[in-house]
Amino acid sequence: MTDLAHADRIPARSSIRAERSERSASTGRWRLAFFLAGLSLLAAILLTSVSVWFLGAVALAGAGSAAVSFDFHTPGALVRLFAITRTLAKYGERLSGHAAALTDQVALRLTVFSAMANAPATRAAGWQLSREERLADWLEDVEDRDDERLRVQFPAATLAFGFLLLLSATAVISPLACLPVLFFAAIPLILARRGIRRVGEAEASTRAARRTGSAALGAALQALVPLAAEGLRANEIGTALRPLHESARLQRRQSDMLALLDLATGLFGPLAVTAVLLAAWHAGARGEALLPAAFVGFGWLALGEAAGALSKIVLGRVKAKEARAGLVVWTDGGDCAAEAADRSGIFVGRVSLVGLRTATPDGRPIGRPLDLTFQVGRPTALAGISGSGKTTLLKTIAGWLQPAAGAILVDGREVAASGRQGLVHLGLHDAAILSDTVRANLFADGATDAELHAALAAVELADRVEQGGGLDAWLTQDVLSLGEAQRLALARAFLTKAPVILLDEPTEHLDAEQAVRILARLRAHAADRILVYSAHRPPLLGDTIVRL
Amino acid sequence: MAGRLAFAAGLAVTAGRMIEAGTLDPMPLLAAIGALVLGGAAGWLADRRTARAEADVAGATLAALEARLAGMNVRQLQQRARGALVTGAARHPAALARLVVSHAATRATMGLGPLLAVAAIAPLSWEAAAALVLATPLMIVFFALVGGLIQERADAREAALGRLAAQFADRVRALPTILANHALDRETQKLQARIGAYARGTMSVLSVAFLNSGILDFFSSLSIAVLAVFLGLGHLGLLDVPGFDHLALWQSLFILLVAPDYFAPFRRYAELYHAKAEGAAAATALDWVFAVPEDGAAEPATRGQPVPDAASDAALQDFVFPAAGLVAITGPSGAGKTTLLRRLAGVDGEGRAELRALGRASWIATDSFVPAGSLARAIAWNIDGCDGEAVAAVAQELGLLDDALLPGGLDARIAAGGENLSGGQRIRLAVARMLLGHGPAFCDEPTAKLDADNADKVRRALVAAARSRLVVVATHDAALAALARHHIVLAAPAAHPMKAIAA
Repeated sequence: MTDLAHADRIPARSSIRAERSERSASTGRWRLAFFLAGLSLLAAILLTSVSVWFLGAVALAGAGSAAVSFDFHTPGALVRLFAITRTLAKYGERLSGHAAALTDQVALRLTVFSAMANAPATRAAGWQLSREERLADWLEDVEDRDDERLRVQFPAATLAFGFLLLLSATAVISPLACLPVLFFAAIPLILARRGIRRVGEAEASTRAARRTGSAALGAALQALVPLAAEGLRANEIGTALRPLHESARLQRRQSDMLALLDLATGLFGPLAVTAVLLAAWHAGARGEALLPAAFVGFGWLALGEAAGALSKIVLGRVKAKEARAGLVVWTDGGDCAAEAADRSGIFVGRVSLVGLRTATPDGRPIGRPLDLTFQVGRPTALAGISGSGKTTLLKTIAGWLQPAAGAILVDGREVAASGRQGLVHLGLHDAAILSDTVRANLFADGATDAELHAALAAVELADRVEQGGGLDAWLTQDVLSLGEAQRLALARAFLTKAPVILLDEPTEHLDAEQAVRILARLRAHAADRILVYSAHRPPLLGDTIVRL
Repeated sequence: MAGRLAFAAGLAVTAGRMIEAGTLDPMPLLAAIGALVLGGAAGWLADRRTARAEADVAGATLAALEARLAGMNVRQLQQRARGALVTGAARHPAALARLVVSHAATRATMGLGPLLAVAAIAPLSWEAAAALVLATPLMIVFFALVGGLIQERADAREAALGRLAAQFADRVRALPTILANHALDRETQKLQARIGAYARGTMSVLSVAFLNSGILDFFSSLSIAVLAVFLGLGHLGLLDVPGFDHLALWQSLFILLVAPDYFAPFRRYAELYHAKAEGAAAATALDWVFAVPEDGAAEPATRGQPVPDAASDAALQDFVFPAAGLVAITGPSGAGKTTLLRRLAGVDGEGRAELRALGRASWIATDSFVPAGSLARAIAWNIDGCDGEAVAAVAQELGLLDDALLPGGLDARIAAGGENLSGGQRIRLAVARMLLGHGPAFCDEPTAKLDADNADKVRRALVAAARSRLVVVATHDAALAALARHHIVLAAPAAHPMKAIAA
């Protein structure tokens, strides 16, 4: 069996390797994109500069006898070259940048997914992200984080490159202009810095308000009937939506701050060209000698146009920062143990609880200490009202939660939580249906079609699956009724090779007779395994009953 | 826009004269800077106005949503997917506002901007202006050539990105199930393969979609290049094209500076594709909020729950509710106990006048509303004039102070939506709260999820309350029903058509 476990771990490693190679592929694309972006910006600046210089030069030449001997072919060709280069480089930059971003996105998502799988919270309490509104918030975080490089770092680096280039040209051609240019550039930069702080505060508040509002609205809609009965519906919905109104207001404040930044960046290019021309004039340049200054000055004008993206950079950066803070919960979990080796197939005779006390999420013990032994061939039902800790006990046995006290022995030996995870098939009461085929949803990769069909027949889903298009038909959560989803989840228990089968509320959403039929089949099928299930309904006759 | 044009004019005059005539006129320069500042200020004000208009539209949309949620038929509202509704409420109003404010404004400037640019160039050289205008049909031809393709591909791209997000979201949602079935490695690899494939597919789509902005870039670059060459030849006297020769330097500079502005609005509009798609999606999703309310008939039948009005109405025909006392509604599953209770409480329909006259009702069920905060706050929530002692007394009575699973007594922490409470705890909390109120109480299976001790506490509390108030319970619990002074017995439902596979 250790061989089997080993074989299972190899794909995990190969996937990590694949991730790394994709990363390095994206690095190459980013370099190309950056090169093309620089080229495109350079061509845009030169297009304006050379055109202006050319017009100035020919205007001066046209006035004299030099007109005939003026070589207009070279600048003409250059201008056309820059126009084409600018367009093509821009197109290439977009393609290459997006290709790199998408590659990163694939890698980042896989990293986040693995981190989440390893985070203890995933196995602990109710899975928060199974709820649509939480999932939507969270996905937005992932997207903001995805976009950071493309929308923030990348344009910022390109702009800085153009700025330094023009600044050095200015230093050579009209050094006097450097000071005012730096001054005019400092204003939007200072505003951007301040913007990052203040827009960031507004963004954090917006997010908080949206989360509060969503949670409150969700709660109010869930309690719609009680609220309506008590005449509090309008009141409570109004209260729930107030934070959302607040978030709309905060967004306006954000837009206002960014508008100020847009104003400052809009003034930069024109002021810079004016400064460069005046500085050159002041330095005594006249006529032809003014042309280099015009060349550089109008380059600043072109850069000023490109700097219009500054407010988008600020917003993107702020969002990415918030998103990273939101995601750090998952990606900062340290080096948790990867998924436990799947040790299904081995035989386990008994699982014993010795003075076991389960724990609340904050670590306090629940209920009395339990001394129990679950044995092969003696299915056990955990009975008790809702809230008595049935789910917690099952998850503790499965190694998903840490107990507050006591030990869990497998065939007389204490086995750590991670070890138990591999021995147990845990049927969650809120088991999800993946958007995938019926086959994939049964999680039995080695099983034959006949075995799969037999399992589906045992949970009375054979006809339904047949009608729906067979084992390779696509399933989603909402295609199935609650009862069908429950039975599909039970089919997984029929197919598992795990020596210990723990099922949380397997009869929920089933009508009583059907539940009895399916459980009886499962009991017969898993006679050589340990079977423990929780039920708030009366369990099967003959099963050991433990009251919590 | 006008500010930009005026600045371009001032700058062109200044620079042109500096280079050509060797004179520096302060007037055009000052005018240019003045125009720049004025134009900037105007743009800033317009941005602020846009932001305000967006906030107003988003606010109005939220208000409409609020009115609809507060006013619409409970049954219909319950049929809407709650998660989608909450997600939409947080995002759709802003997306809609961007569509009707920013996007519409950009569309307007797309019409106006090019006109202004042409009008500014025309006095200097109407031929140059005409050349720009003539380039437009050429651009439109280009657009038409790739336009259909772009639209189709762009839609395909949105769809691909949507699927990518959906695959990922689905696996995150199902993560505990994946772990429970030891399928993490399998699903990670599958995810990698699938989102990798989507990413590659998206790239091939993007390569076409970017042609859109590529064309605009091409035209604005080319207009500068072509104009620069023509104007240069004109200056040299090598070209005898009317409108391009015998221009002063400042005139040709101005034409050169303004020409790209002719194309810029088109480009800005093309960049708003996302805002447009998001806004349109939001508008579709919010359709029901603004639709004329159509209560009743047109709505699909309630899921799974038959509405045996006839049965309950027959049972109630000559039943007069007392102002105080315990009334039990009994009957087999599916007989319509909850449905009747909802009608009595006025959740569905108007409710009965005699019951409305009894004051604000309490509703006791596992879905009772629980505000976040402390246990004391949850019990006293929306109860007028109750003191701490009374709260402690009712909490004690229902065994909420010594509940091992809700430690902390009156200060016990209650999560938003009461997420950390079990069904039984919610019921006991609702009963405690009811004891502090004064109106009638409607209880849906108040003892079903409780152990014997707590069920007994709840029964005693209900009986005590029924001494001074009307308490209506819908219940299977024979012990509770036996305590009632009045009984409404509902008959078993006539064979209702069940869903194909019963849930």
